[in-house]
Amino acid sequence: MSEFQSHALMLAQQSKGLAWLNDAKQACANLWQAEKWPTRKTEAWRYTSLQSLESTLWSVPSEAQLDGLPDELMALDATRLVFVNGNFSSQFSSELPESLTLFSQASPAEQQAILTKFNQVAKVEKHLFSQLNTAALGEGVFLNLSANQRLEKPVYVVYIHTDTGASDYVGSRLLVSLETSAEAVVIEHFITLSDASPMFNAVTELDIGENAKLKHYRISMESEQSLHLGSVHAALHANSQLTGFTLATGSRLKRIDYHVRHVGSGADLDLQGIYLPKHNQRVDYHTNVEHCVPHCTTNEVFRGVISDTAKAVFNGRIHIHQDAQKTLAEMSNRNLLTSNRAEINTKPELEIYADDVKCAHGATISQLNDESLFYLVSRGISEAEARVMLSFGFVNELVENIAVEDIKVWLRPRMAKAFGQNDDVVRHLIHD
Amino acid sequence: MSEQVESLIRKEYSAGFHTNIESETLPPGLNEDVIRFISAKKNEPQWMLDWRLKAFKIWQGMEEPQWAHVKYPKIDFQSISYFSAPKSLADRPKSLDEVDPDLIETYNKLGIPLHEQEMLAGVAVDAVFDSVSVVTTFRGKLEEAGVIFCPISEAVHKYPELIKKYMGSVVPQRDNYYAALNSAVFSDGSFVYIPKGVRCPMELSTYFRINEMNTGQFERTLIIAEEGSHVSYLEGCTAPQRDENQLHAAVVELVAMDNAEIKYSTVQNWYPGDEQGKGGIYNFVTKRGICHTRAKISWTQVETGSAVTWKYPSCILKGDYSIGEFYSVALTNNYQQADTGTKMIHLGKHTKSTIISKGISAGKSQNAYRGLVRMGPTAEGARNYTQCDSLLIGDRCGAHTFPYIESAHPSAVVEHEATTSKVSDDQLFLCQQRGLDAEKAVSMIVNGFCREVFKQLPMEFAVEAGKLLEVSLEGSVG
Amino acid sequence: MFVSDTMLKINDLCAKVEDKEILRQLNLEVKPGEIHAIMGPNGAGKSTLGNVLSGRPGYEATAGHIEFKGQNLLEMDPEIRAREGLFLAFQYPVEIPGVSNMELLKASVDARRAHAGLEEYSAIDFMKMAREACKAVNLDQSFLKRGVNEGFSGGEKKRNEIMQMMLLEPSLCILDETDSGLDIDALQVVANGVNAMRSADRSFIVVTHYQRLLDYIVPDYVHVLANGRIVKSGDKSLALELEAKGYSWLENEAV
Ligand SMILES: Nc1ncnc2c1ncn2[C@@H]1O[C@H](COP(=O)(O)OP(=O)(O)O)[C@@H](O)[C@H]1O
Ligand SMILES: [Mg+2]
Repeated sequence: MSEFQSHALMLAQQSKGLAWLNDAKQACANLWQAEKWPTRKTEAWRYTSLQSLESTLWSVPSEAQLDGLPDELMALDATRLVFVNGNFSSQFSSELPESLTLFSQASPAEQQAILTKFNQVAKVEKHLFSQLNTAALGEGVFLNLSANQRLEKPVYVVYIHTDTGASDYVGSRLLVSLETSAEAVVIEHFITLSDASPMFNAVTELDIGENAKLKHYRISMESEQSLHLGSVHAALHANSQLTGFTLATGSRLKRIDYHVRHVGSGADLDLQGIYLPKHNQRVDYHTNVEHCVPHCTTNEVFRGVISDTAKAVFNGRIHIHQDAQKTLAEMSNRNLLTSNRAEINTKPELEIYADDVKCAHGATISQLNDESLFYLVSRGISEAEARVMLSFGFVNELVENIAVEDIKVWLRPRMAKAFGQNDDVVRHLIHD
Repeated sequence: MSEQVESLIRKEYSAGFHTNIESETLPPGLNEDVIRFISAKKNEPQWMLDWRLKAFKIWQGMEEPQWAHVKYPKIDFQSISYFSAPKSLADRPKSLDEVDPDLIETYNKLGIPLHEQEMLAGVAVDAVFDSVSVVTTFRGKLEEAGVIFCPISEAVHKYPELIKKYMGSVVPQRDNYYAALNSAVFSDGSFVYIPKGVRCPMELSTYFRINEMNTGQFERTLIIAEEGSHVSYLEGCTAPQRDENQLHAAVVELVAMDNAEIKYSTVQNWYPGDEQGKGGIYNFVTKRGICHTRAKISWTQVETGSAVTWKYPSCILKGDYSIGEFYSVALTNNYQQADTGTKMIHLGKHTKSTIISKGISAGKSQNAYRGLVRMGPTAEGARNYTQCDSLLIGDRCGAHTFPYIESAHPSAVVEHEATTSKVSDDQLFLCQQRGLDAEKAVSMIVNGFCREVFKQLPMEFAVEAGKLLEVSLEGSVG
Repeated sequence: MFVSDTMLKINDLCAKVEDKEILRQLNLEVKPGEIHAIMGPNGAGKSTLGNVLSGRPGYEATAGHIEFKGQNLLEMDPEIRAREGLFLAFQYPVEIPGVSNMELLKASVDARRAHAGLEEYSAIDFMKMAREACKAVNLDQSFLKRGVNEGFSGGEKKRNEIMQMMLLEPSLCILDETDSGLDIDALQVVANGVNAMRSADRSFIVVTHYQRLLDYIVPDYVHVLANGRIVKSGDKSLALELEAKGYSWLENEAV
């Protein structure tokens, strides 16, 4: 047992009680305790060390106040839920519609609904940090749409961390359940307001019912010193559709897992991801898509730009079970290394047990194309600006696919800034 | 040598013969005495014995790897015999005439052309029967060119300096579990030395065959190509049908000095087990080459046999501008399992590697490609291109791709592509409408799928490889 | 040589695809040396007829009888039908990457000759014949080395089918919309190929949408297939009439 592994059990005790969830919490604490702590020899942690969790006295922060809403929030016409250091802030949040509830405010009927859905999509026994998340659960959000219900506005969940002077463990939980033909847009956004180094442990469960449609955006652009262990678990029922988008800048330790299961025929997954680590940051994306039934499609595209001495990992797995005939699955991972000391480890895996399938994956690693660079320079653009433009363009193709215009508008300048601080080199990219 | 071992051997004499050839087989079990026995049998110098014993110590402290995508019952290393030699060869034959005619007959059955006059193809052959190298042909002609091609047991005596210098230099004793085991108990194998600037005048070839029951085969091959030299080497493997599983844990080391080129081809047809998955060879092999400046190593493999295959012929591209290539066809049928691929470790500047892997799964088999492409921090301008395709025939088999791609240099370019598809009904019907039966059609499609790899094989073996696929696919279509 | 007074005799053929009844009591008789054109609206069952005749899996004859050169066709495996001399030029020829045209051709001609008890052509002789055939359909010889239909344009695929037909020397050729999508030059190439092969012991069933093909390949009979059966038969003038009037006036007759 690692030091962190045993210390984390204290976090479980510190987290405030939701008595009706105690059984689930305890079960996960037990699982966590029994886990063999991963090392570099553990395949899932081959390229990412958990060392930075150690030797720190993590604690669950108490309520913190904000003077006002930080500028960093997206300007969205949305139902907003703001969490500060893991605690819900009603002051900055919208009034919640009927379909949205906090775990702490759930009526007995809602508690029952949560209990039947909770940790069903997430397979906690297979996912280490979801165990801790559950064991130390303090608060959660439950979005529950009944058949044919369609949310007028997107749901915008913001997780903010503000410095407390301590090493904060910030847990969060989002549970989305869409019944037949329901539709929703959900945005999750992680923000830090200081250079402190909190640890986020965020778990999202998406249960997408028959013919339902969900767009899910997950933006993680915290401070360099922060740590982030996050996972998104989704189950796609017949003819449902999940459009997922995820973007992460790097940080000291950032590991984000996507586990998607196609459990009903005709389901469709479109998952796009961008990672932009620089300096000495790390980003590690692990995605696992399971095709359990016939006639489903997956289109997965991840792109990364890795600069300075940063390191990125992309491990994308598509698993096609024996019954999943007529699966169409494609995965593409492209990487741009912009410095001599940047590193990328990519592992696009296909595991196929059905025969009538069409699958392909591709991975590339390269640097900026000299010809393109020269083309821009020959048009009078400075080399520095040209580099930023090309890096930006490399990932912007994915941003352009985002259906919510306001997210795009918010993201473009910030993405550009990720490539160049200097206004000179980004101004042409952040015109609008 | 311990008396116990000696007496056990004597007891064993009367039993366990498979062909008419009398064999001298060590009883099952592995300990230091067994290693001393093997070493003594070969009259090895002390340094060789010490090297083996060191490897054995290392092996004892290691654990069997579990990460491969294969399942098999735990191997009891104490139930395997670590030495078996055709008895009549206790004194090595000095010429072909002295070789036991039954043994030659066995090779003829296998289609291995031992007699020089039959060898129109001009291939020099070293044949390893169970653990012992039985005959090396064409030695005279090779010697003229300065090429050494002999059993490794002989090289230990004749060229101790080369062996001391290079054995274990590419695959260290502690490299992995099976390599350590091989280092401790290796029986025989081929040794090739091509002097500076020499282009080997003919294809070199080794045939391996496991004959005895319950024996493991642990051959070791070492090829050294000095500066500017060139050699093409082919190995073929077969084993008789047996209900028990047998272990084959070989090590191959290639050293390509500056500007040298080694082409290493394998046609592996170890017994794959029967339709129920009973029996067959466990093929756990470590193959690796090191390329110095502007050197080139090219691995070509056609794998149709073995119950379980665990094999990753690799290149360490140490020298600038060196080149590594891997062309592979791995076909699995019935209950076969293969986890195979390559590692290309780019260290030198402007190094280049190409990986073309074609996996074909039929029956209830599992076929995995596992590859590593690593661009080290010094691999300026390095390039890799990987194409890895899987073809599925039938709906009970699996095809898997596990590529590891690591890059720590921005000017290194890596491109990886993989596809998986099935032999389509429409394709089969078009062939049938043109008068071909379904099996022939599948075999044509499969051969076409593999063409890029077959092109890399020496001509006569390409034909053989094609036939092998056809035989291996028998019964895979409805 | 084959002697019989019928090439193909279809009696009351019913056929279904995926539980859908497509052909309903279709009758057709083709004598050696004849060319029959089959026309009809989209979805009438023309391709289905070709597929049933050639034994494509999934196309099931549920009733009726087909006699091909005096034998019961429905009892033969698809490759045996081909070796007996039944050739289908596909409406949509499939691509087979990795298998070259030449390999496929040699293998099928070998299979057909072996079936007839004839000796294989030598590789050299066959190469010559293949080159000739390429020339005849105006395909560059490089097509022999390319994967079967791999990356061929629509017109090239169709000419490739005719090239294969020439080499296989079938007794009954079924051309399924071989003219669709061809420009007039390519159409002439196809027609020339067919006309050159016309002989007293070889028959053709030409499925087409367009009367213009029949200006080049003059049929002995024209049939209209609608709703799964032949609703009208006539001579070449029927094709002209169809071109002028369309099919709707005939379709009603079928029901
Ligand atoms: N493989 C198939 N699966 C399902 N339906 C088919 C298939 N082939 C043909 N059909 C159906 O059979 C009917 C006749 O098709 P077809 O013979 O291709 O017509 P035509 O060639 O006269 O245009 C159409 O309704 C078509 O949709
Ligand atoms: Mg048609």
